[in-house]
Formats: sequence, C-alpha cells, structure tokens
Amino acid sequence: MTTLIVVDQAPYSNWNGREALDMALSLAAFDQPVALLFTGPGVNWLRSGQNPGRIEQKSVEKQLAAAGIFGVEALYADQTACDRYQLNAETLMPGITPCKNPASVVRSHQRVLFAG
Amino acid sequence: MTSPSSLTYTLVITGAPWASQAPQSALLFARALLESGHRLDRVFLYGDGVHLASALSAPPSDETNWPAEWAALLAEHQIPGVVCVASALRRGLVNDTEQKRYELPASNLRAPFDIAGLGDWVESQRQSDRMVYFHGEC
Amino acid sequence: MLHMINKAPDHPRFQLCLHALVPGDTLILTESAVLALTDTAFAPPCPTFALAADVNARGLNALATPEWLIDYSGWVRITADHQQSVNW
Repeated sequence: MTTLIVVDQAPYSNWNGREALDMALSLAAFDQPVALLFTGPGVNWLRSGQNPGRIEQKSVEKQLAAAGIFGVEALYADQTACDRYQLNAETLMPGITPCKNPASVVRSHQRVLFAG
Repeated sequence: MTSPSSLTYTLVITGAPWASQAPQSALLFARALLESGHRLDRVFLYGDGVHLASALSAPPSDETNWPAEWAALLAEHQIPGVVCVASALRRGLVNDTEQKRYELPASNLRAPFDIAGLGDWVESQRQSDRMVYFHGEC
Repeated sequence: MLHMINKAPDHPRFQLCLHALVPGDTLILTESAVLALTDTAFAPPCPTFALAADVNARGLNALATPEWLIDYSGWVRITADHQQSVNW
C-alpha cells in the first residue's frame, strides 16, 4: 500500500513541510512504501544551496538528500511549479524526479495525504 | 451498492481550534460515524491540531469548548486520543511525564489524550479501514 | 477515488484538487470549499456533494443544487463507500 505525501507550501514559514517529511520518514522506518510530491511553492524545499542558519532554522537539504537511503522511494517535483520558481537541473538538489503530470502521480498511489 | 456495515476509522486532525474548523468538522463526523455503527480506532493530533488537547482552553460560555467536547467524546466511547510528541512539545502541549523530562513549569495536556510518536499514526495507516484528515486552511 | 476539500476556491490547493478529478471520482465540499457554489461555472467532472451544515452556515442554500447536499451521516457513508480517498 504505497503512500504519497504532498508538500505544497513554501519552506521556512510554517512547519508543514518538515512535518510531512517526518511522516514520510516514519513510514519508511516501518518499511511502508512512501514517496513525496512537491508542488506549488513547495518545490522550493528542493532548491540546492539553502542556508537558513541566520533565520535560526535547520536546512532540510541533508534530510531530503538522504531520504532515499532511509527508504523514501521518490521525491517528485511538479515540473510546472519548478519552471515557475526557476528550478532546473542546475538549481535542484540531486535525486529529484520531475513530473509533468502531478495528477497522475496522485492517482497512482493508494494513499495520498498532506501533513496539514 | 450497499455501504460496508462496520468499518474502522482513524481521524487525523491537523487544524487547531479557533484557527480552523477542523476540530468541529471532525467532531460531527466522528459522532456520525459512531452512530452509523462504525468504529473509531484512534484520533491522532498532528501539527497545529495538538492544540485541541489543551487543558487550559477557556472560551466564553456561549462558545463551544472544542478541547472539552473532544475529551468528552473520547472518554464516553473509550477512543484513544493521541497527540504527536514532536508536534506537541514544539507547541507547548505537555503531559506530566514531559513536564518532568524537560523541567517545565507546568503540564497542560487534557485527559484522556496521551502523547505518543508517529508510530501510532503508521499503525493506524496499517490497521484502520479508513483514514480521514481534517486540515486547517493554511 | 474520493476527494474531500475544505478550502476556498481561491486557495491553490483547490485547483490542484480539480485537476486531479476524473469522471468516476466523487468530490465532497466542506467548510470554505462550499463557496464554490457561488460560481455558476463550477462544474466538476464527477458527482459532487456539499456539506449542508457548511452551506447553511454561509447562507448559500439558495445557490445549492439540492441533490448535492449531504449531512454528516452522508459524508460518513460516502467515505465508507470509497477505499481510496484524499483530504486536500
């Protein structure tokens, strides 16, 4: 039973994206198949070179980069949103799967949820 | 099609009282599901939803006290109410154990809510027939 | 697939939800999402329901198609009928 967790909110304002990642890592820790889909402003979580030290937050870049090792099956990024926010092969962190059709990614998972 | 007669549900609430309708929608949904003969395995509070477990809410007497209403439903039907520990600690929802652990000046978790980890949510995912999420409007 | 949404039509997630709908799905509008009833062009490709309590709260009864209105028991029943669902 594969789960897709969707992140559509920008990083560093509320904790929604972090709590989505916690859910994904928890499922992976219990060997439950899970993937993440980033869309809308949420694709900005995937930008390489984030440096939130001065705003006193931790970067999720390392956690996302390691997500595959922890068992998260894929990190999907909505291509349209990436284009909107100038995210491309140069500016995205590695290991991201662009998707042109987020609706079909949604439909192909048995459980789809948001953290908030 | 005939509806399945008795299913198990877990409700996840991520919207806070007075910041969203989530606790209200979830409460009336919960009552209806119990009246329909389904079982409520667990109610899981995550993110800002943890505020629903506050023992200290004191709205005006002509307003619904959502934490109190939820506590009453959980107690009446013996339904586990679980507050995610990471979400709760960040937001200052703390039981006696956590108060001692972190040497905090008070505890404020309303009975019968308990604090636990995301493992409880994962378990619900595996075991409950249906999971319904009640989000705020962020 | 059952889609449930509680956000106003202007919320970005509302469009995400609409784009994910196919005929054969079911859509339930609750809370602020019932405001979609004020849009005469709102025509999802699948059976759509609106929670009567939220429609009433917002004074939208005159705009609601009666067959769309469900109560909380109806909402429960529709979730019981669908193994796959998403709360947007």
